[in-house]
Amino acid sequence: MSTSAFPEISPGLPVEIGRIDKELGKLWETSDDTKTRASLINLVIYTESAAQVAANTELISRIASHHACRAILIFANPSAAEANASAWISAHCHNAGKGARQICSEQITFQLDGDTASAVPNVVFSHLDSDLPLCFWWQGDLPSAPDENLWSWVDRLIFDSQTWSDPAVQFARVCEISHLSRSRTILCDLNWTRLLTARFALANVFDHAAALPALRDVKKLTIRHTKQARTTAILLAGWLAAQLGWALESVLGRHAFRDKRNAEVGFDLIEADGACISVVEILSASATITLRRESNAEFFHASIRPAAGPDVTQMLPAGRDSLREHLLMELSRGGVHPLYAKALDLIRPVFSHD
Amino acid sequence: MSDSQAPVFSNPLREGLLSRALPAPCSLVIFGATGDLTHRKLVPALYNLNADGNLPPALSVVGFARRDKTDEQFRTELLDAAQKFSRQKINTELWDGFASRIAYHRSAFDDIEGYHALARRLDEMDKTQGTRGNRLFYLAAGPDQFETILNNLRESGLNVAPEGGWARVIVEKPFGTDLPSAVALNTLVENAFPERDTYRIDHYLGKETAQNIMVLRFANAIFEHLWNSRYVDHVQITASEPLGVEGRAGYYDKSGAMRDMVQNHLLQLLCLTAMEPPTDLSADAIRDEKVKVLRSLRKIGSDEVAKYTVRAQYSAGNVNGKRVAAYRDEENIPPESETETYVALEIHVENWRWSGVPFYMRVGKRLPKAATEIALHFKGAPPILFNQSGDATQALDDNVLVIRIQPDEGVSLRMSAKLPGTSLRIEPVKMDFHYGTSFGRPTPEAYERLLLDAMAGDATLFARRDEVEEAWKFVDAIRAGWESRNDKLAFYSAGTWGPSEADALIERTGAAWRRL
Repeated sequence: MSTSAFPEISPGLPVEIGRIDKELGKLWETSDDTKTRASLINLVIYTESAAQVAANTELISRIASHHACRAILIFANPSAAEANASAWISAHCHNAGKGARQICSEQITFQLDGDTASAVPNVVFSHLDSDLPLCFWWQGDLPSAPDENLWSWVDRLIFDSQTWSDPAVQFARVCEISHLSRSRTILCDLNWTRLLTARFALANVFDHAAALPALRDVKKLTIRHTKQARTTAILLAGWLAAQLGWALESVLGRHAFRDKRNAEVGFDLIEADGACISVVEILSASATITLRRESNAEFFHASIRPAAGPDVTQMLPAGRDSLREHLLMELSRGGVHPLYAKALDLIRPVFSHD
Repeated sequence: MSDSQAPVFSNPLREGLLSRALPAPCSLVIFGATGDLTHRKLVPALYNLNADGNLPPALSVVGFARRDKTDEQFRTELLDAAQKFSRQKINTELWDGFASRIAYHRSAFDDIEGYHALARRLDEMDKTQGTRGNRLFYLAAGPDQFETILNNLRESGLNVAPEGGWARVIVEKPFGTDLPSAVALNTLVENAFPERDTYRIDHYLGKETAQNIMVLRFANAIFEHLWNSRYVDHVQITASEPLGVEGRAGYYDKSGAMRDMVQNHLLQLLCLTAMEPPTDLSADAIRDEKVKVLRSLRKIGSDEVAKYTVRAQYSAGNVNGKRVAAYRDEENIPPESETETYVALEIHVENWRWSGVPFYMRVGKRLPKAATEIALHFKGAPPILFNQSGDATQALDDNVLVIRIQPDEGVSLRMSAKLPGTSLRIEPVKMDFHYGTSFGRPTPEAYERLLLDAMAGDATLFARRDEVEEAWKFVDAIRAGWESRNDKLAFYSAGTWGPSEADALIERTGAAWRRL
């Protein structure tokens, strides 16, 4: 055992890696009767940033109160000179209802230095809560040489394409991992989850009779987004295009869509401060539909301005723009994401030209 | 496909976002808009649906009531109610947007002019608010008003939607007080609305755990093989509450536990427990199977009520540490009332699956705690190896699968395990699944789900006419038996688990009521 690389938090009780299960057992034997261990999933979080360990521990604590899990947090430091593996165990408990009863989730934290960083598959396999799904959140860039042993075991691969510096390369790796797992692994891009409320809101707005016809003759799509959220905006455009049957046309780095009638649909991405996606504007001959969100607002303001007839406005839930909310949403919704694959297939060339 | 079932939308952006039918734009007209149900349940449910983005984009809510008030006064009253009873905190801006869709329509229920004026108002809303000629009428008034309202809806033509739209009616229980009155009510409803547009609310069916019964049974292969008379010894269905009549004295004293709870909620739970797998998940496929169960119930005639039923009333006692009055001493209850506040039944479902398996049912007020659950008691292991008579150390408790409907929704399974140690001692242990522990997020109120379903045209969680009438046939036979024999009521002290007669009823077959 060694000291941790993350002195700002206590990762829990230091344990020998070979005794983790025994020590976890003792943890529950010595706790009082008001505590109940619960687990619905194995949630593995992998990071190569020591600074992320504290944030991840905090995140697990918050997630666990909504989604009981066995959390395995791995901090890998492959550039460390010395090979060393250390582990700590802890529990996150929260009150269940009004009584004294507490529901607890276990967390095992690993620090893998030097060569031991390659032991990730073994560390994961040997500490899973059996028969429960494995959700693996890989933070940062995906590995250039995916390990088939590992990925074939993962039920849900979670990543956040918004954090990637080179999305074109990273999306290619995602596709490779999906191929290695024979498409059994469900790809869960938190950047896609981040768009869920916007997609719901847009779908909701177009349920309105004054807006629906506009989908047939869209002239222009404009999305305002923060600098950080460019991939988010592109994915949103990909979803709209895929659902509306548009084809992507890229000429000399300029992108536009062609609708089903082969008419051009203009496509503007505009960087702006504010919410991650602050404006989505869909312009057509019959109406202009706008979805706006102020920074940190929990609701979208939608407006339908038909060419004829009165304007319609609506407020729609936007959720909270936080990683915790997105992860919770992803874990709670479950299921596969066929629309993501469809949208990504269509829009991937845009990333290559970025 | 009928007009009312035809899909209204072909919005390609909806693909993959929802796994349930989409609620259609409509005008929701609430009769009895100033009443308790509207304030406590309907408006909070509508607000929560709106906050979650689940309401259709064009929805108008029209409150129909007799009292004189403006739209603004009505909205202010509803805001007060939503602040008190909503599961989500009220966002002022969101409420303002929602409230702008609420209107008040003043009219007496028996004034046909009020309905004509309503029709004109709804037509106008169709034009200005995009409600597409769809009308959902919610009868939240007292049942004594149903006839007047339904007749006037028909008289004014409001029961028929403009072309391309639909007109539906939601009817709150009680669905009659016996079979003849239920048939009369159903006929009355049918004269105005076809069965496919009639939605009879039983809010128990909107509860997550009630919906989960089918998932538990038919999505888990391990249970279905055991779900029959070969393995199940008996089933217990319990609905207990510590509350008394709580301001419903007038209604409750006429109704009693049998009509208030057994005819609807408990028989619905029995149906979900005993039914065969439906051919698909459509409303009619599921309701067909439930009706088959009701038709299979062995009728309890007057010569059998003493054997298979117990009716009782609470006397004074202690509940939650407080002294409480006897039922007959409650406000507005006649001192000589013979109304039952407790019923215990032994029911037999006479079909291949359940032949010989008693379903014990108990429901009561002023019992020690609030609990609604279904418990399947499995037959014991054969007396070989373990479970031998005369050897107390090896006696086994039966396996029990419990589906908790409320509170603390979940499922548990009792089984036997060896006590650690050198000697062989066997003790019961419990595997327990709690919704709250596992999913840790608030479940929507039953009314939220049911309102959405009615707007979407999904009648799965609503009772069909034949279900209601079959349930009354069963209940009426028992009530007729009680009346003809003039049996004396049993009594139990408030705060206890019912009369000793109920214990005797179940102990006859060697079983015992579960300790909850």
